[in-house]
Amino acid sequence: MLRSLFLTLALASPAMADFPETVKNHILPGYASFASATKALADAAAQSCDPVTLQPGFNLAFDAWVAVQHVQFGPIAANGDALAIEFWPDPKGLGAKAQRGILMGDAAALTPEHFAEQSVAARGLIGLERLLYPAEPLPAEPCPLIRATAADLARMASEVQKAWLDGYADIVLTAGEPGNTTFLTQAEVRQALFTQLITGIEFLRDQRLGRPLGTFDKPRPERAEARASGRSLTNIRLSLQAMKAMAFSLTPDAPLTMAAFDRALTLSTKLNDPVLAGVVTPADRLKVEILQQSVTALHDTAVKELGPVLDVAVGFNAADGD
Amino acid sequence: MRPLLLAAFATTALSALPGFAATPAEVVKTYADIAEATYGDSLTTAQTLQAAVDALIAAPSDDTLKAARAVWILARVQYQQSEAYRFGNAIVDDWEGRVNSWPLDEGLIDYVAGDYGNAENDLAQLNVIATPKFTLSGTEIDATKITPELLSGTLQEADGIEANVATGYHAIEFLLWGQDLNGTGPGAGNRPFTDYVQGAGCTNGNCDRRADYLRVVTGLLVGDLTEITDDWSAAGAARAAVIQDPKAGVLAILTGMGSLSYGELAGQRMKLGLLLNDPEEEHDCFSDNTHNSYYNDGIGMRNVYLGSYTRVDGSVVTGASVSDLVASVDPKVDTQLKGELDATVAALGAIKIRAEAGMAYDQMLAAGNKEGEALIMGGVDALVTQTQSVQRAIATLGLQAVAFEGSDSLDNPNAVFQ
Repeated sequence: MLRSLFLTLALASPAMADFPETVKNHILPGYASFASATKALADAAAQSCDPVTLQPGFNLAFDAWVAVQHVQFGPIAANGDALAIEFWPDPKGLGAKAQRGILMGDAAALTPEHFAEQSVAARGLIGLERLLYPAEPLPAEPCPLIRATAADLARMASEVQKAWLDGYADIVLTAGEPGNTTFLTQAEVRQALFTQLITGIEFLRDQRLGRPLGTFDKPRPERAEARASGRSLTNIRLSLQAMKAMAFSLTPDAPLTMAAFDRALTLSTKLNDPVLAGVVTPADRLKVEILQQSVTALHDTAVKELGPVLDVAVGFNAADGD
Repeated sequence: MRPLLLAAFATTALSALPGFAATPAEVVKTYADIAEATYGDSLTTAQTLQAAVDALIAAPSDDTLKAARAVWILARVQYQQSEAYRFGNAIVDDWEGRVNSWPLDEGLIDYVAGDYGNAENDLAQLNVIATPKFTLSGTEIDATKITPELLSGTLQEADGIEANVATGYHAIEFLLWGQDLNGTGPGAGNRPFTDYVQGAGCTNGNCDRRADYLRVVTGLLVGDLTEITDDWSAAGAARAAVIQDPKAGVLAILTGMGSLSYGELAGQRMKLGLLLNDPEEEHDCFSDNTHNSYYNDGIGMRNVYLGSYTRVDGSVVTGASVSDLVASVDPKVDTQLKGELDATVAALGAIKIRAEAGMAYDQMLAAGNKEGEALIMGGVDALVTQTQSVQRAIATLGLQAVAFEGSDSLDNPNAVFQ
């Protein structure tokens, strides 16, 4: 299995851009980085529970996640791991509640086997953020939970990477070949990847930007993502970079989409507002709104330009519901 | 946005083949006829509910409360089947929030247990039944009289928060059952009939306002169902939207099936609850009727694909179907999708059978309940599988590629009348 995967990858010429390049140049390296960053974090947590010591590794792991988060099909979808890795948004505050229960509860819940069965809201990067950047003193010694959460993240990252290397990448790369029942045609893979991209842009627009923006009358700065670690804007920028790279790996023939990515990236780089706190004052809010408008424009451009270039329409996705 | 509706239509499959057993125009007519019948049946069952609610308010007793609960459960059957229409049709999707919003912060409406709350919603503990005057976003609200306008205009989605649900089936459900305080253990909500006793004997206070709320909110449901039934009648805008552009209408059928299957049911409503082990993540969480709601979603999707709906009175509305269209282009795709729709009904049916045998849906969500998890994941997997075939049916009919200019009649239904 592995051999045929590497053979297929080796045959893909670097000048080409199509779904094999997306797998080779984007998805597999993305999962590899995420696996190594989370392993480094888990190793560091095994040595020390000091938040200040762990924060740099936490941020590297979060960076690596955002670079591959928009890929929501395949192994990551099988066990709900995407939500267990980052449970956000959490409008009902389920994460803090569930985590407090574990923190105050039976230590048996912290063994790797049992921890994986805990509510996804309590686990993952946001769970770890609450322990490493506590807003108020924690009600119990967090060290065992920090270690369990970091180890659980590394386990999920490793399992997803392994599942791609041990079979799923082959399934994607052999789309349309006899015996492939997952992807009956290559177009089905292109559609799946295009859908990830558009859904990822919508998540950026509606959640990462839309939640803190709220309405003009009622801005919601407290709803920005990863505020405690000061990553709200960083995640927006990294996500744009990652999705641009993914689009480019699919086709070199989408100049308007590339320009739209660049415009949004430029605006996000110029924005000097790490947790989007400015949404409450008209002048600073306008800058965040302009960034959101640029993401809306990016979305519409990608649908109009990239869709026809890839000859696919946006497929059904997890955001179709409420 | 429903991106699929922006996809337009290759000219190949749907227009070129002469040997069609059915035409898109015939197919969308059946689809509209089934919509009219399904919403029409939802309306009549809601009118029965309204009569039972009036009887409860007039003479509160265990019997009248139980009777109202029983007809609420019956009223859900056809409505849940109609959910197959929601995501394909802008008119339905825009309207749906009034009648079936979920999940809700029920503390907005009435009393709740002490530890209840929602950090992001200032109104999660408003309890309007006990609070005739309050401030909403800086505005003084006079709620001394509980009116349709108060519920649908002021409280519904107040503060722009979707969990502020003041109207629809689930608000009525809460007023009939009350909170389900059993967590993932056995038992549903257990509101006493005395919550509606006027004067001495009233429990939990404000029984007059609670009765007013229940009467008004049930009236709103009947009104909303009347409106949507009219929208699908011969002169209705929702019917016109699919008739005007039959190919777009066929795409609406499949879009409705795929979006309900995947993002909504398999994802938001089923898998998420399992990942959170949260008993409030069940659709009919006060009444423990979730198994029936999901089962009827499965039936509804099969109805619209096969072009056949069995009415409350036993008569059958049937006609040319999208299944006929797909079969005429690629019988394999059609056969597979039909088999998968049956498999979904069977998997959701297994949840229903187990629930009726004593393990309610919220119990299935308990951490460590392997049997419950397997039942729910059986439904999720079946729904995800059929989504892929719905996607293939769209491709088979040539409805997804090429132009991206969208459909005026579906994106902007009022344009049909201009």
